[in-house]
Amino acid sequence: MASEVLIDLLNTVVMGILLGGLYALIALGLSLVFGVMKMINVAHGDLILLGTYFAYGMMTHLGVDPILSLIAGIPLLFVIGFGIQKYLMSRAMGRSMEAPLLIAFGISLMLQNLQQILWTPMSKGLTTSYALESFGLGGINLPLAYLFDFIAAVIVMFLLSQFLNRTYLGKAITGAAQDRTAAQLMGINTGRVYAFAFAISMATAAFAGVFLGLTFPFTPQSGTSFLIIAFGVVIVGGLGSMIGTFLGGIVLGVAQTLGGYFLGPTSQMLVVYCLVLLVLALRPQGLFGR
Amino acid sequence: MIVIIVMLAAFPKLGVPDAWILYILLFFVYLAMANMWNLLCGYSGLISLCQPAFIGIAGYTLVLLVWVGVPFYVAIIAGGIVAGAFAVLISIPVFRLRGIYFAIGTLVVPEALRILFLLWRPVGGKLHGGGAGYMLRGMSGVSVAHYYWMACIVGIGSFFLMRLILRSKLGLGLAAIRENDRSAASSGLNVFRLKLYSFVISGFVTGIAGAVFYLYQGYIEPGAAFTIQWTMIPILATVIGGISTEEGPIIGTVVVVFLDFLLARYAGISMFIQGAILVGIMLLAPQGIMEIGKQIRTYFSWLR
Repeated sequence: MASEVLIDLLNTVVMGILLGGLYALIALGLSLVFGVMKMINVAHGDLILLGTYFAYGMMTHLGVDPILSLIAGIPLLFVIGFGIQKYLMSRAMGRSMEAPLLIAFGISLMLQNLQQILWTPMSKGLTTSYALESFGLGGINLPLAYLFDFIAAVIVMFLLSQFLNRTYLGKAITGAAQDRTAAQLMGINTGRVYAFAFAISMATAAFAGVFLGLTFPFTPQSGTSFLIIAFGVVIVGGLGSMIGTFLGGIVLGVAQTLGGYFLGPTSQMLVVYCLVLLVLALRPQGLFGR
Repeated sequence: MIVIIVMLAAFPKLGVPDAWILYILLFFVYLAMANMWNLLCGYSGLISLCQPAFIGIAGYTLVLLVWVGVPFYVAIIAGGIVAGAFAVLISIPVFRLRGIYFAIGTLVVPEALRILFLLWRPVGGKLHGGGAGYMLRGMSGVSVAHYYWMACIVGIGSFFLMRLILRSKLGLGLAAIRENDRSAASSGLNVFRLKLYSFVISGFVTGIAGAVFYLYQGYIEPGAAFTIQWTMIPILATVIGGISTEEGPIIGTVVVVFLDFLLARYAGISMFIQGAILVGIMLLAPQGIMEIGKQIRTYFSWLR
């Protein structure tokens, strides 16, 4: 009996860790844009959802597998992100703190409404044959989609960190994040670099969107809750470090599954929100921040 | 000015159509909310996205108090007080954050409340579907005119409150903080306390406006009480009219209510249009209509 409870608990924690990978993936783009441009993109959740709905459209109309549809989805969101930064955000950035925030808020409202028109307010899901499967591992049983989430998160984070450390553009992005003026003096076109940073953030959003759709059902309104999860991860993990984002995701994931285990599935998100507010109150720089 | 106020107050007695009365009622409720958001964002540098929390909390206080038999005018004030107290409570976590962090920290609050109220039902039996949805009871003796006058008082009151605040020591302090918070702090201003005052005042008045709205609506449920729509309306009104100006929210609210009226027929795309307007205004005229007016006046000043 006791061992059964233990296995149940272990199952819950492992699920939380795997889910944390997905949360880190959601937060990655937000964290990147914040780190580079000191700007919170409140439309991030809705742009992730755009990726989810794109995959959904590809799946239902063309019969393309959601993960395969990323081949088209990533470039699409990349271009959208580039455009948003180049034509909308860049004009507002120097002006005041709230201008980019309000523009992002406007974009978020437009996307929500657009998705509602295109796909109806009904709850949808990326149901594929493998999304519903589960696999056993030493007595515990886990949904396969969660494992995919985790693997995808690790791959994307590895690629992103390699990109930021090894390529010229990546180094330019890091440089502009550290000191814009100094980067400009070194001959870096920061406006362009910002646009690429936003575009890359959107590429990770496309990833996050597909795996999110494989894991959870979604509605046009889900964007706000994804944004809050992403921000929660960034808050809990502390800003600026990719490892922090990863650990923050795992903390939130475990908090959610444990909350669901002890208090029932309806209150699991409440646990997450309370944790975020608690961390804000006690340690505003984040659990793993400097 | 006084003539306009008296005229507006007399509208229900003059046999003005009910539909008009309702739009003017909405105007005053939105005006109070916009003024209070302007106080936070335009004058205190606090980008608050938790206005729905104040509105929903005050709405629930109103409905619950009326439910247990408290007169509604007491319940409205109580709603404002509870919302103000709630502002004090959430200031503990969110006031540690600055700027953009503050904005997102406050965004979490209404979401958490929405889930809380979906789970928890303070009084009465279980409702089908679960969660706390309530009808307002025992309001049969009160006419639309009463709601309307209350909205008038709240809306006009909020405007004069803004004037009062901005000309008081608090307003001067806030102006100093907005220009440069370090130099304000070093000249002996308690930055934290001044910002807290404006946050609590904003919570209180926004709460009262929310309570009046739910008095008129007669029904409250968590999904609608803590919706992002309540964040959008004050932002839109303030930004369209002109942020950090006293008259801006009035003009902006007129535009927002007029949009409400125009878009009522196209409810499906109204949010898209409002979002597009917000982006457009921020790009083309970030200081809102007030600024455009000023520019036109400057342009034609050679005529004089």
